[in-house]
Amino acid sequence: MDCSKAEEEMSLPAMGDTPLIQLKDVSKVYPLESGDFTALDHVSLDIDENEFVAIMGPSGSGKSTIMNQIGILDVPTTGKLFIDGKNVASMTNLERTHMRRDIIGYIFQKFYLIPLLSAYENVEYPLILKYKQRDNTGKAAAVLKSVGFDEAMSAHRPNQLSGGQQQRVAIARALVNEPKILLCDEPTGNLDRKTGFQIMDILIGLHKEGKTVILVTHDPKIAEYAHRTITLEDGRIVES
Amino acid sequence: MRDIFLDLSIRSVKLNFLRSLLACIGIVIGVVAISSMGMLGANMQLSVKEQLSANVNTVMISSDVVRTTTTAGTATTSQGITKSQLMDIRNAAGQNEVIPFHRTSTQFTIGSTDGRGGIYGMDPNDISKFLTLDEGDNMRGANDALVGSTIASNFNLKIGSRIKIGQKDEPSRPVVRVSGILAARGFASDGINTDNAIIVPDTWYTDHYGDKDVYGQVNVIVKNVDTISDVEAAIDDKVNRKTQVIRIQDASSRLTSITATLGTITTFILAIGGISLVVAAVSIFNVMMMSVNERVQEIGILLSIGTEKGEVRRMFLYEAFILGIIGAGFGGICSLVIGYSVVSAMIGNTAYFFLPDSIMYVPYGMIIGIVVCVVSGLYPAWKASNMDPIDALRSE
Repeated sequence: MDCSKAEEEMSLPAMGDTPLIQLKDVSKVYPLESGDFTALDHVSLDIDENEFVAIMGPSGSGKSTIMNQIGILDVPTTGKLFIDGKNVASMTNLERTHMRRDIIGYIFQKFYLIPLLSAYENVEYPLILKYKQRDNTGKAAAVLKSVGFDEAMSAHRPNQLSGGQQQRVAIARALVNEPKILLCDEPTGNLDRKTGFQIMDILIGLHKEGKTVILVTHDPKIAEYAHRTITLEDGRIVES
Repeated sequence: MRDIFLDLSIRSVKLNFLRSLLACIGIVIGVVAISSMGMLGANMQLSVKEQLSANVNTVMISSDVVRTTTTAGTATTSQGITKSQLMDIRNAAGQNEVIPFHRTSTQFTIGSTDGRGGIYGMDPNDISKFLTLDEGDNMRGANDALVGSTIASNFNLKIGSRIKIGQKDEPSRPVVRVSGILAARGFASDGINTDNAIIVPDTWYTDHYGDKDVYGQVNVIVKNVDTISDVEAAIDDKVNRKTQVIRIQDASSRLTSITATLGTITTFILAIGGISLVVAAVSIFNVMMMSVNERVQEIGILLSIGTEKGEVRRMFLYEAFILGIIGAGFGGICSLVIGYSVVSAMIGNTAYFFLPDSIMYVPYGMIIGIVVCVVSGLYPAWKASNMDPIDALRSE
């Protein structure tokens, strides 16, 4: 392979119409004792910047697998995945880690806050990872406030917060490094309906501010918030 | 502001306080064992060194042929330092004091009590040159004897006490009379250990043991210690002209060999102390593995939101380091107390305890304790940093 081809493999040309996320014939196969399990089967998908996409499908359809791929927590078995113009498979482990830190914000169903840190420290943590120092700009506090988190609760540990409060902290943590992409895996799944809609309102606001929001959900009502719904079945896109 | 990974480690230690405490106790024991044993060895060496240094100006000359001695009344057949060799030594030694003496060990009876000890035969005129009398006078009569402090106290000897020399079943045993009791010498590096010995005139010795004009050892007390090498060389040139017939040593070479031996013993006891640190290392390893296994999901969160592997490793190494610091800190304090007690009980002298050669074992033990902790944390930290974030997040 000559150099120019190798560079082409590494990244896509930075053109205005290049999708922010591009899956080209991506498959993910897990080798099991009972035989290989194909979680994603030749999936191709483009997601542009500032899209609001919902991913739906029954259990085992590959929703989490595709989220792990887009979230750079995993790499495809075959096919190519480009995030922000970069081929994920050709990146080093450290480069993938930095990309997760800098351009992706994760919001999980189970919140996944760091139990030993306070609400404020959980939000400050990604800033520390990025700038290798404690936040003295007030950014962590500002972001926490922007998602409607009660400032008086900042020093509380996650186990002292309600589900809604925890999810607000998780959203603030996802936002604090100003990522381009917000990956939301059933963000309202552990919340009551009212709080769930409040969280969705926050996500809609963030989308309006220019974020690309990708949302996995079982709930058609929640999926209605998205501009595009992708339905997966047996690792394949059946509706887009 | 503090490193957030250090904060996480401190909080993890606090959260699992009892478990961390138990692991620290292992390190405390290890540090105490190493430090106390090290200090004991060092104090032993320093104590012996001082005793031996007292005779550093003495050259010891012995025959290069191994001697065997017999009981009273039986002539020896082995070779010692002959009269002509002694003459050569005197000539070579010049103005320095030359002290030839005979030596063997013997049984003896005092009253109805039997004992065993050394017996030295030497010219009464030489006694005052290197020995000190605590009580009584030097030997005057042919049957007079001096006794060491240990024999005197063990057998309750007084001036005028009688000692039968020789084995109990011998039909007639010669008797000596105690004319003086010597001051304690301890372990003397000049080869004359009088504390558990009887000193008789050389004529008495050769009358009963033979060996006339053949000496077991000759000591030369050098007036100016700086010339000791020259004196040794002169004697060597004079006596060992053709072949090596005498062996020349001084206290410093003996001191070196004894301190080397004590050094080996110290290393050995340190190694025994080290075993407890190995046990502590296993305990720390166990605690760290438990910490990693209990925090799998947390590790998954950290990795998934962009924490570098090295940062996760650092967090767990900090935790091991904190356990090491706490264990080593308490261990260091306990080492001072326990080490002092051990040295006091086993050597009976704590004069050297606070000297750098002794007290340095406390920081040594502490450093070893911390290093052991961090090394024990290496594998758990590596395991944590290499977890798959997806699998880690899924774990409950």
